Amino acid sequence: MPDSSSSVMPLPDNGNKYDLNFARWVYKNVNGGDKLSMCMQCGMCSGSCPIGTEMDHGPRKLFMMIRAGMKDAVLSSNTMYNCTSCYRCVVRCPRGVPVTYILQDLGRVAVQAGYAEAKKTDNARFAKAFNWSTRAFGRTDERLFTLKYYLSFGIVTAIKKAMANMPIALGLLKTKRMHFGAPHRIKGTKDLRAILDKARAIEKSKQGF
Amino acid sequence: MNEQMVRKPGVYLCKGCGIGEGVSVDALEQLATGDLKIQTCRQHDTLCSDEGVQVIAKDIADGTVNQAIIGACSSRVMSDRFNFNGTQVIRANLREQVVWSHPAGDEDTQMLAADHLRMGVAQASKTSAPGTAAEGDFSRTILVVGGGTAGLTAAKEAAATGHDVILAERSDKLGGWATKFSKRMPHLPPYRDPQDNDIDALIAAVETTSAITVMTDTIVTRTEGSPGKFAVTLSKGGTEQVEMIGAIVVATGWRPYDATKLGHLGYGASPDVVTGVELEAKLKAGPVGKKAVAFIQCAGSRDPDHLPYCSSVCCGVSIKQALQIVEADPDAMAYIIFDELRTPGTAEEFYRQAQEAGVIFMKGKVSGVDANLCVTYNDELLGDDIPLEGLDMVVLATGMVPNSTNIEIDAAPSGADQLLNDINPLSPFDRAITASVAAGDADAVEVKKAPPTGSVAAVEAVEDTAIEAPFPGGPILNLQYRQGPHLPVLADGFADSHYICFPYETRRTGIYTCGPVRRPMDMSESAEDATGAVLKAIQSLNNASEGQSVHPRVGDLSFPKFGLDICTKCRRCTVECPFGAIDEDKNNFPILNPSRCRRCGTCMGACPVRTINFDNYSVQMVSDMIGACEIPDEFSGKPRILVLACENDAYPALDMAGINRHEYSPYMRIIPVRCLGSVTTLWISTALEKGYDGVMLMGCKSGDDYQCHFVKGSGIAQERMSKVGETLKSLMLEEERVVVEEVSIADSKRVAELLTRFSDKITEIGFNPFKGF
Repeated sequence: MPDSSSSVMPLPDNGNKYDLNFARWVYKNVNGGDKLSMCMQCGMCSGSCPIGTEMDHGPRKLFMMIRAGMKDAVLSSNTMYNCTSCYRCVVRCPRGVPVTYILQDLGRVAVQAGYAEAKKTDNARFAKAFNWSTRAFGRTDERLFTLKYYLSFGIVTAIKKAMANMPIALGLLKTKRMHFGAPHRIKGTKDLRAILDKARAIEKSKQGF
Repeated sequence: MNEQMVRKPGVYLCKGCGIGEGVSVDALEQLATGDLKIQTCRQHDTLCSDEGVQVIAKDIADGTVNQAIIGACSSRVMSDRFNFNGTQVIRANLREQVVWSHPAGDEDTQMLAADHLRMGVAQASKTSAPGTAAEGDFSRTILVVGGGTAGLTAAKEAAATGHDVILAERSDKLGGWATKFSKRMPHLPPYRDPQDNDIDALIAAVETTSAITVMTDTIVTRTEGSPGKFAVTLSKGGTEQVEMIGAIVVATGWRPYDATKLGHLGYGASPDVVTGVELEAKLKAGPVGKKAVAFIQCAGSRDPDHLPYCSSVCCGVSIKQALQIVEADPDAMAYIIFDELRTPGTAEEFYRQAQEAGVIFMKGKVSGVDANLCVTYNDELLGDDIPLEGLDMVVLATGMVPNSTNIEIDAAPSGADQLLNDINPLSPFDRAITASVAAGDADAVEVKKAPPTGSVAAVEAVEDTAIEAPFPGGPILNLQYRQGPHLPVLADGFADSHYICFPYETRRTGIYTCGPVRRPMDMSESAEDATGAVLKAIQSLNNASEGQSVHPRVGDLSFPKFGLDICTKCRRCTVECPFGAIDEDKNNFPILNPSRCRRCGTCMGACPVRTINFDNYSVQMVSDMIGACEIPDEFSGKPRILVLACENDAYPALDMAGINRHEYSPYMRIIPVRCLGSVTTLWISTALEKGYDGVMLMGCKSGDDYQCHFVKGSGIAQERMSKVGETLKSLMLEEERVVVEEVSIADSKRVAELLTRFSDKITEIGFNPFKGF
């Protein structure tokens, strides 16, 4: 986690494509960023990534862009949301850089700083629906969470997407991986929401957004 | 051996290690006692066993034998077993080069073994034990030139071994560049943090050692003599004194590259663009107080327009300075822009430390720095030109220039010519042409193509063109040698030495370089280097006082003898000697300085009248060995090929081929030579006249990455042999019959292939038409 003793550091903004202070900001304010300085650009992470082809920039390049201070390019890339947390890069990194953590937290920074609004990116829509379900039931309810995600595209697209996924849904029903009826809930949904609210408040106070 | 003494050769044949199974030892004994008329010939199952050695020792003790010709393993092994207190031992290599590399019981293998024996007997008939050249008093004082880290360490170490030391320093105080540095790169575990600069302690240790005479404000104005007997003139503020010196350690160090030539990197445009050395001064004075500092690596290094080489320490220095800046001020940022970051050895730990401290490393080439300190670089990992804005200091990591000349004094007359002539790998011939081409003098090129390398004509041709000196300033030692006042240097100005095997030895025996004058290095490497150089200097003066050679023929007592009665004063020996061992007297006759000589025999190979010889290695000896082999007539279908193999790398490689059982053509007759430089063209013509069908010279790599143990020998051989082709043509012989091959000691498989391929080639060309005449 970022160093809790340091004071709130605003995201640097010099209005240029390159900003010298961005790298140092990431080192200090992103989870795992303190280890990012150890990166020696060997490319083991990008080479190991099973979905690197789906990313705008592989982790190796993204880290070099951070050092070069390319704040906008880094935070508007889709790299962070495509990470599936398989941890292959973390296991293989010869310098002990926690690539997955860094990508996850960079994603958070991008969302909070307004680079990745749900309206704009598919990954963000998905994350938002996922978050809604967790917050509401303490669990992910496949039906409602998927529905919520599809509806974010508008009703016509939602029906099209739902129809396309019908065979999968039937399969899930058959093997009892999905059920009819009310969504499963955890016992203390209220407590969970309180925890999440508190976490968000702490986060906000620290990041200065 | 005294000339009057009667030679009593004895032949001892070993049957062990497969020799007994591979060849008929009885037939060899018959040959020895029959045709070769050897009185004493004995066989033994294991000659190197105590019992076997006893057989030889007994014959020597009762006076039946005073030269032992041992037909067993290679001369490179078992020399301690076959050591009979000065009795000459000649080795016929029946193991590695006969039975281990050729099929057992074969007719050709037997012929090869017989020829090895014949060559051994021929060698015994011409060799004699060398007498010593050591005469007079030898000084054991060591002179150290330069009082920086390397010089101080050298003086301290020399004094610790009980030698008197004179330490001459050009400036008014000791310590050199190290006194200007705030901290030094880590040299102790865990090699993580910049360490305190302990130069003051080293200076104090030297100043308080009574065996060391420290002379500041002192330069060497004149050096005469040879190892053990150098007469060195030291000038302290103009007052001269002459000291007798045994050996010299040159530790004149370095100077930073002139940053005023780096205008394109912003030097001079802003006071905040500084060099690494200038930043050291600021760091020593106190906190720098800068918030964003960029270091530009390879500023004027690895650049053909500036220093073409890597100075190896600048990366470490920038890492150190970046760490000092971010550690003094946690808000400060340091960026290191590198093309290739070089962190040899433990510096890798130091690099990690800097990464952990948050120093940002960027790979790219800097294209420019403007007056606002905006550094533009092409980031290779992003493929983009990136401007770094908002810096408040730019540091140029400039390289090291060796102080192989003293830039504070005037150039010596003829110094420029010597520096140019002696630069490896460029020969005087190449230089003359390069200079003429540069001057646009096409006719001169034609004229200068004529004289052979190293000849007096070539040297004079260079002198005529009055070329500008490659390095400014005067000589460090001002040697009063035939070959000029400077220590020979490489093209970049660093002292020339056999880099891998004999790094400290310069091409002037008894004079050793250490520290950054030899190659770029940091303080701890310099200290280590100085220790090594001092040990070599001590060896050198010990060897000189015993009349022995230094490396690579350590212990060799022989030295070249000049038959001045037929000397034509052509001066080829004095010019071609790679070590400047031979001077000229006022009548232009050569005079040898035995303790400067390394016994390579390059003078012997150079002499057109073949009047230079060693007691145990002579033109006649090798000619007789060549002639001793039996040459089958052309109807036998068996060609004969002479291989003159350098004993330093090629001969061991041939032995290794045997050890690894790489089979090669049995038509080869291999004779070891001290260096290809000692090969005289007479041997080649002798071989061809005798009916050999081809000649192969096998030596070390020449050129800028030379491996020749005598630096110039193999290059000189290449030059000489390039002229042989025309002679062959005039004899109606094919040029391909004589080849020069460059091999390394690890080439065991390759040498076997080379020999077989050459043998096939010769078979293709056909037999030597002179065979049988």
